[in-house]
Amino acid sequence: MGQEFKEVRESADILIVGGGIAGLVAAVSAKEKNPDASVIVVEKQVCGYGGKANKGGGVLQYFDLEHMKPEDFVEYHAHAVGCYLGDQETMKKYVAMNNEMIDRLEGWGVVIPKVKMPTGPMTFMFGIDLDSCIKMTAQCRKNGVKLFDKVTVSDLLTDNGKIAGAVGYSLLDGTFYVFQAKAVMLATGSQNYRVSEMWSNGRGDGIAAAYRAGAEMRNAEFGNFGQLFQKESFHECVFGENNMYNKLGENVTKNFRRFSESDISATAIREWYEQMSEGKGPIYLHIPKRGGAGGGGPMGDARPYGQAFWSLQNLGEEEMDQENEVVPGLVGEQSPIRVDGDMAASIPGLFAAGDSCYCGSGAPGAVPAPPGRNRGSGILNAVFAGIVGGESMAEFVKTAADVNVCEEQVAKLKADAYQPLNLEEGVTAVDVIDIVQEIMCPCENSIIMSQHRLDICLRKLEKAKALLGKIKANDFHEMLGAHEAEAMVLSCEMHLKAASMRHESRGWFLREDFPLMDNENWLKWIIVKNVDGEMTLTTEDVPIDKYPVKPLGPHS
Amino acid sequence: MLHTNNKIEYNPENCVGCQLCYKACFIDVIRWDAEKKQPIFKYVDECAHCRYCQAMCKKGCINVIIDYSAQSWRQSFDMYR
Repeated sequence: MGQEFKEVRESADILIVGGGIAGLVAAVSAKEKNPDASVIVVEKQVCGYGGKANKGGGVLQYFDLEHMKPEDFVEYHAHAVGCYLGDQETMKKYVAMNNEMIDRLEGWGVVIPKVKMPTGPMTFMFGIDLDSCIKMTAQCRKNGVKLFDKVTVSDLLTDNGKIAGAVGYSLLDGTFYVFQAKAVMLATGSQNYRVSEMWSNGRGDGIAAAYRAGAEMRNAEFGNFGQLFQKESFHECVFGENNMYNKLGENVTKNFRRFSESDISATAIREWYEQMSEGKGPIYLHIPKRGGAGGGGPMGDARPYGQAFWSLQNLGEEEMDQENEVVPGLVGEQSPIRVDGDMAASIPGLFAAGDSCYCGSGAPGAVPAPPGRNRGSGILNAVFAGIVGGESMAEFVKTAADVNVCEEQVAKLKADAYQPLNLEEGVTAVDVIDIVQEIMCPCENSIIMSQHRLDICLRKLEKAKALLGKIKANDFHEMLGAHEAEAMVLSCEMHLKAASMRHESRGWFLREDFPLMDNENWLKWIIVKNVDGEMTLTTEDVPIDKYPVKPLGPHS
Repeated sequence: MLHTNNKIEYNPENCVGCQLCYKACFIDVIRWDAEKKQPIFKYVDECAHCRYCQAMCKKGCINVIIDYSAQSWRQSFDMYR
């Protein structure tokens, strides 16, 4: 290695990677459950400001448990959203904890104006103010959690098949960090391929670290959330798919939806694609005045912090969008780290929470990470996984044996991390991400798929894979960019291979060549795993017999 | 948001050195100059124009100027027209 860097060693019972809402909630929950446990949170940007919870609509799913039972929602969700691929037990646990989660958030200082707006047959949404992560960061400090900002974790450490910690580096000065820990949680967000603005920090580096360490991935093929955006301003069109018209003036929403819904569906993207293919595009929205998920109305007034953010988002854009032409935009949201109902991953000592493992938890079934189909489930699912995972880790470390750091492993992972800095010449991270985006962004490759196109994409991906190890970085920021680009190639490969395997359409997952749901052959999860450097894909039956809600027929 | 061409205007006159713009940037576009107590807009070519830095600045020092024409969802629109 050409350059030597300062090295820092840290040790704790629990290491949480990611200082967004899931990681911060997990840290506070772990400390509340086991105050003796030492807890570190490492965030590659700044705790309280990174992540997505403070830049989105701030929509919080709410179940009125006085008028409905968790079982009612599980039944609706299995039929209409998860399409029988979901872990119904985890879903029930999530709904049952709704009121407790909201109470605990408020107890930690998070502002939740109780303005209730209906979003579905059984759900409402609350507006949460967008400083929730700042409040949670303050709570972490109060509870004695140690926080590191601008430090990114590049790989996990293992000790005889168990987790032993993680290594990473400072974005500011390249200091190398070795964290020894009995339990590690990845709260690193989903893979969003650096496409859309609000989600552009979801770059899959935590997912890639888990994959490299040998953790199982599940539901990687359900990771492509997309929705309609204004063509000129790129402003997202919340509820826009209820009002889609083609250039002949025909209402095309009625081709895929009988009545207005607040939920989002991949069928709207398919309708856009089919109308365009038939020469009946562009597609326009016939909508009144703009109203984003987070701006204006009663929610806006009740959320002073969020209002400052959202008031900027509409600046001048409405004038640009006079035509109201819409196009699909890929958001991404692949979230495949496999976890059980306690948020434990397949490697002992490894846990995950939030959008790194939403699909991997199995709970949502056949939809991408939130908004998936249910608006408002993103933050609350992260809170759920944070509480459950934080408390699981707090218990785990009470009895877990001490772990050893293998110096040989540290040296290898350090060399891997700094490799892009040591190249004399090479390509840029953007060169690689360009290829990945060309594959993933068109909706006909990621949302409405066919084997013919998936095969072309797999061949194209070889060009990106050939560039791995050749990305040159000039500083630590670019070094992170190189690692993120590698993570995007991995996520893309998991998507293409798992999507090629699933010969059916289910929920958000649509294939032109297999248009029907196939409950006889595909009530299965696809598990992706790194076995000695090879990506292996296997299937596992969904234990539908033990769940209360079952398919209605072979195709529904 | 790969080949964007957004700009960030910064007026240091009213800047109080609170660091909120630096903290707000969730993709490391903005760094902090500890000596001058001012932001450094170091990786502007990666700015995804979330405008969180602008929203955070209580003194109105920051203005993100978005080049909408540089963005692309990479949908092959022309193929279908």
